[in-house]
Amino acid sequence: MKRTGIIFFPAFDWSLGDSHPEREERLLYTQEQLFEEGILDLPQIKQYSPRVASIHDGLRSQALFPNPKSYTDTIDAHLIAAGSAILLGEARVRGDIANGFVLARPPGHHSGATVWGNRGFCTLNYEAILVNHLRARFGIKKIAIVDTDVHHGDGTQDIFYHDPNVLFISIHQDGRTIFPGSGFVNEKGGPNAWDQTLNIPLPPGTGDEGYHYVLENWVLPRLQAFAPDLIINSAGQDNHFTDPLGAMNLTANGYGRITELLQPDLAVLEGGYSIEGALPYVNLAILLALAGEDYHHVREPKKLDRPVLTLATLKPFLEELKKQQVNSKPDFTTQGKAFFPKGSWTYSPRSIYYDTEGFQETRHDYIRQCNHCAGTVYIESYSSQSPEKSILVRIPFEACPDCEQAGYDLWDHLQKHIEDTTNGLLQNQLRDKLTVWNRKEGLKEF
Amino acid sequence: MGGTYTDAVYIYDNRIQHTAKVPTRSENLVETLMDAFDRLKIPDEQAINQITVSTTLVTNAILQNRMTPVQLLLFSGNGMRVDALPWPVSYLELSGEMDFRGREIEPTELSEWRNVLTHNFSENPALVAIVGKFSHRNSLHEEQLASYLRGANPSLRIALGHAWGQANFHRRSLTTYLNLAVSDLYNKFTQQLQSAASDRKIRAPISILKADGGILPISKIRPIESIYSGPAASILAALTQNEPTASTIIVDIGGTTTDIGLVLSGIPLLSSKGAQIGPYSTLIRSLAVHSIPVGGDSAIHATEQGFILENYRLGPAFCLGGNIPTPTDAMRYLELIDYGNKRLAEEALASILPLERRTPEFLHELATAIIDLVADRIAGAVDSLKREWQEEPTYKVWEVLHPHEAHAFDTLVSGGGARGMINALEKRLKTSVRLGLYPEVSNALGAAMAKPTFDCTLHLDTYMKRYRVEETGEQGQWSGSLRPYREVEGFLDNLAQKQASFYDVKMGDVEKEPFDFFPIVQGYKTVGQIVRGAVHLRSGVIGRIRV
Repeated sequence: MKRTGIIFFPAFDWSLGDSHPEREERLLYTQEQLFEEGILDLPQIKQYSPRVASIHDGLRSQALFPNPKSYTDTIDAHLIAAGSAILLGEARVRGDIANGFVLARPPGHHSGATVWGNRGFCTLNYEAILVNHLRARFGIKKIAIVDTDVHHGDGTQDIFYHDPNVLFISIHQDGRTIFPGSGFVNEKGGPNAWDQTLNIPLPPGTGDEGYHYVLENWVLPRLQAFAPDLIINSAGQDNHFTDPLGAMNLTANGYGRITELLQPDLAVLEGGYSIEGALPYVNLAILLALAGEDYHHVREPKKLDRPVLTLATLKPFLEELKKQQVNSKPDFTTQGKAFFPKGSWTYSPRSIYYDTEGFQETRHDYIRQCNHCAGTVYIESYSSQSPEKSILVRIPFEACPDCEQAGYDLWDHLQKHIEDTTNGLLQNQLRDKLTVWNRKEGLKEF
Repeated sequence: MGGTYTDAVYIYDNRIQHTAKVPTRSENLVETLMDAFDRLKIPDEQAINQITVSTTLVTNAILQNRMTPVQLLLFSGNGMRVDALPWPVSYLELSGEMDFRGREIEPTELSEWRNVLTHNFSENPALVAIVGKFSHRNSLHEEQLASYLRGANPSLRIALGHAWGQANFHRRSLTTYLNLAVSDLYNKFTQQLQSAASDRKIRAPISILKADGGILPISKIRPIESIYSGPAASILAALTQNEPTASTIIVDIGGTTTDIGLVLSGIPLLSSKGAQIGPYSTLIRSLAVHSIPVGGDSAIHATEQGFILENYRLGPAFCLGGNIPTPTDAMRYLELIDYGNKRLAEEALASILPLERRTPEFLHELATAIIDLVADRIAGAVDSLKREWQEEPTYKVWEVLHPHEAHAFDTLVSGGGARGMINALEKRLKTSVRLGLYPEVSNALGAAMAKPTFDCTLHLDTYMKRYRVEETGEQGQWSGSLRPYREVEGFLDNLAQKQASFYDVKMGDVEKEPFDFFPIVQGYKTVGQIVRGAVHLRSGVIGRIRV
């Protein structure tokens, strides 16, 4: 029997604020619907109990700035969602389940390689934490993440932008019309992972038919070519036509079909804020589709009564989009710093807005170009709220000896010579060692 | 009352005065009960304060399919396919749909109802169960159809699903069905029992033991709630021999089956899902009891590698005149028990060994291996029950961060093969193991000492202005504030008090769950609250047995 694992973690005692979309009520009606349907009584469904992830699990993928300690009071719910993703991921890799659904809140996909606080309701990136946990502990090599949230999965993209072994695909409402304003076809990956990021921005009004067309004709062939060991679906539900934040026209049935087409090993709930009109039905359809049951009788009470972009309108647009995507060529600035270890470094500046608390992060990213591995990453980061400059040094999974040495050299230099920096993280994915440095407190292993 | 024997105890001042054991006559349960009762030789029957009965009547009627047929009508709505879950009975689906807030999505269809009438109700009086998806949030459709059917045929006996007010449409449907299907049988039983009692001028109230280990008055209990009272009784019997707050693994070793339960700080563990009886999934709360097919009489067959312990019995142990080696023979050979013929026990064990190994050394080794294997099976079930408890799903941050504490368990073992298993279980479970008292009447002992239980779970939607009580199915209007705080505590207390007086129960040590408040937000404004809260009178015993 094809077994489907589920962790249902509605965090009924946690919110980002009384009337915030990310509040206790968000999965309440989903619970009512799932329990009333008796879907957990299906013999092929196995419910797991949530687990807490460690700070180590978080730091393996993300730098918590200024330091992990400053998150102590706010991170519990996020660590449980991350731990739940890890638990189901492990069950999948061990073969206890054929697929699984991490139905937990809050979401995570806007949280990137460096974190200064909550952003787009996200503090930790569960897909990234899960993927890197499975790579570190189970030696999984190639993983694809398909993000079907209405918003661009910019955090996930940021974390894996330089990683040739993770294919990241995000299908979302065009960033010119919605938060976070990114995810265009020319964002295709860093110098060592070119074309391992695929963004498909869709026009507002796209419905089931158009979305499925994109999956069948663009996403699935790309997935097939990559041949990943695992497929993770960031299953945001805000493409639903009743969502208050998105402007797309998908139905609960449409979501069932997305799941059926993608056949993800794990689906992880992301956004979705139509908590009565969509979530109970979309979650039900996704879970039924994962469990191999008929989802066609799932019907949201409200009828879709706004115009949907027809396939005829959409097809020429998509052809043009695809052309642009294919024709986008790498355009990297080669630039390093005087103290950088030998090699060729590319530089890209970034600015990231944290909407939850209203501040700006400024970043300077440097990547060591490498033909043998994902390359050493060196990121300088400042928050407009804090005078503390922080630095992330990443030695990637399967780093080559040169890139590993480059990472250690940068880490040494940071502690001895960079006067204006107060915090740092050595993210040694190769050795699964995570070291946090603070100018006053010194080094600490996590 | 068990399948083979019916036990009785007479307890005065927490001391067992008399016990009795009679064969169960399945064709006349009331006579069996009164027979056992009479053998207790109670000096002054009219002075009895309380009579409690644990009966297999409903359990067996369901398992043997001796039920009155019920017409099951469903408002199944959209969602998961109805037949995705197994239905051991037939049903008819009708139009009409509610949502999770109890709002009508689709009205009912009168024209369909006429067809129901013309085709299905030839029997008189016919039994009809009507169950709607989300009827525990709004019973309107069920009530509408019931009143229509009653108007057309006043002799129909109709049961409505919302009376079982917990979520799970499939289980609610089958629970409603079963409760109605066994009601005639059950009512006949209670009438006979009460008239037999009054023939003897007994004025004591009679209570029935439920699957959750609690008792309720015979006239108030819903028949289906009396299933699985036997395993519950054996847990309660152990409680009467425990320190009030001890945590105990309870092992009841029978001839072919061993029941395993857990008591956590004095409270028996409840199963997180409703009881499964035969092919029926129900909403009935029951104690978490794992039964495994191994016992003192399990058959043992020789194999080339050694032996296998079968899941079944082929008559009594060889040392007690049977034809096949059993764990009892191993216990007898090692002199862990003193009944049975030791020479026969040796003969039984020898038959498993090849000729050249039939020496005391190998016989001893074999007997030990058999007992260790039984202990292994039992320990495996104990581990899986503990895991079920520890891995119960949690839905709150606080609960995940504060997992169940590790309890220091001891073990209480009872039943026929208990004495011979003590050492092996101690070794395998790594706890101290005590032998339960009165193993021959433990079910009666547990029933006699049981306390009343009830639960009152409130679901209040202040925006929709409706409240519901899961256990009674009561639904009503809320006229209080949109954001109640202390008000809702008093409201729940009143509901619980009402339930307690209906059941003739003193509120006593009720356990209150903290309320959950869910602000309902529309367009960034809080417009109301959903409030969930519960009061429980947990199962337990009225006292400890004095030896």
